[in-house]
Amino acid sequence: MWNLQEYRIASSPAEAVALMRKGPGKGAYIAGGTDMLLEHPACDFVVDVNNAGIGDIARTPGGDLFLGAAATLQGLVDNNFVREFAGGAISKSASQCGNRPVRSTATVGGNLCNALPSADMAPVLLALDATCYIADEDCQESLPLTDFFVGPRMTVLEDRLLVGVALPGECAGWRCAAHKLTRTAEDISLVQVAVSLGMDDGKIQEARIALGAVSPVPMRAVLAETMLAGQEITAVTPDVLRDVATIAAGECDPLDDHRASAEYRRDMVNVLTRRLITRILTDDGDNMEGGAA
Amino acid sequence: MNISFNLNGSATNLEVAPGESLLQALRASRVFSVKLGCETGDCGSCTVLLDGQPVNSCMVVAARVNGSHVTTMEGLLGDDLMIRLQTELVEHGAVQCGYCIPGLLISLYALVKQGPSCGGEIDEEVIRHALTGNLCRCTGYVKPVEAARAVVAAMEVPK
Repeated sequence: MWNLQEYRIASSPAEAVALMRKGPGKGAYIAGGTDMLLEHPACDFVVDVNNAGIGDIARTPGGDLFLGAAATLQGLVDNNFVREFAGGAISKSASQCGNRPVRSTATVGGNLCNALPSADMAPVLLALDATCYIADEDCQESLPLTDFFVGPRMTVLEDRLLVGVALPGECAGWRCAAHKLTRTAEDISLVQVAVSLGMDDGKIQEARIALGAVSPVPMRAVLAETMLAGQEITAVTPDVLRDVATIAAGECDPLDDHRASAEYRRDMVNVLTRRLITRILTDDGDNMEGGAA
Repeated sequence: MNISFNLNGSATNLEVAPGESLLQALRASRVFSVKLGCETGDCGSCTVLLDGQPVNSCMVVAARVNGSHVTTMEGLLGDDLMIRLQTELVEHGAVQCGYCIPGLLISLYALVKQGPSCGGEIDEEVIRHALTGNLCRCTGYVKPVEAARAVVAAMEVPK
């Protein structure tokens, strides 16, 4: 059994932070708990944030999509706002995380705060310009998701609480496609790539390429993005695509481990980046789901 | 610590340790349909409904269900839909050792009761997706799917 001294329940973000700081000993926030019951991290107490009012999914009047940190992955799969945003890319990524009963409890905030390089939700949220909202006892801070991850299993939070992420309304109409390459459907990903393109007037106005499991933290391939942004769609020839994908593969920093070699991972970043951009540029938008790579 | 929740329709009070899983708490309360399998959220033999959603009870801290509704097979015995699912699983030869069956039934029950999240029909792909969290090493993954399809098909006839 998980050796825990105390289970504290917070009813607001500020209370959660206060309960975390109260001590004594080491504490951790818990929401779905699917990672924590797997790993039984050494701590004296946990602070449950399921009743802290941070589980909502909402669309603001300005069109931004807000995902509360304690919203479950199945909630992201089922919610109509999420299903409509950027062609439903976030729902699709959530639907490929774990299995059905895990998704009922696992939360989007937990997935991000656990900060694995392979966090399932990170690439698609990075590709849609997510902003993180962080609560302290008496104030709130926001920062881009790109700045949230500090290293493997490390975030900027320290003892503060992630209350949610917001996706700007401008991204709602972007075309987004993501792929999670795994050994089996439920396994931790070998490589993840998410691409989103904001297109207008026959031009790629905005381009985002996000990569997971190929560097110490989930990352954006900004050099490759720069090569696409501003291009006429007709100018994105197979040669250009090959260059963009090669640059993206050069930007990542994968590890060798028992799941895959670094060389293979880098190669797959190249292949998947090319494939996802092609799919977005040639697809009518209805069928952006990741198939077998 | 003491928790109170609704277990299979009855108000229940339990004394649990802060780090105890719902699986451990249920089995200590002699709810034996909930099986201990992998304790890593992979096998699904401990699946229960938490406020109507299928969850792995090994992946839920017992303290968290304070104030919630928990439903296990014991609470669904005699339910019309559950009887149909049980009957078709047996008819299709999907039950051998039986260890995975309570969890598998809970997953199928949640699917048929709620329908797929996209609101479409419950086809083979939807059934397979709903069963991603239930491993069965005896019969494999054809017979349970066929049994579920038979239940869904029979439900569609009256329309």
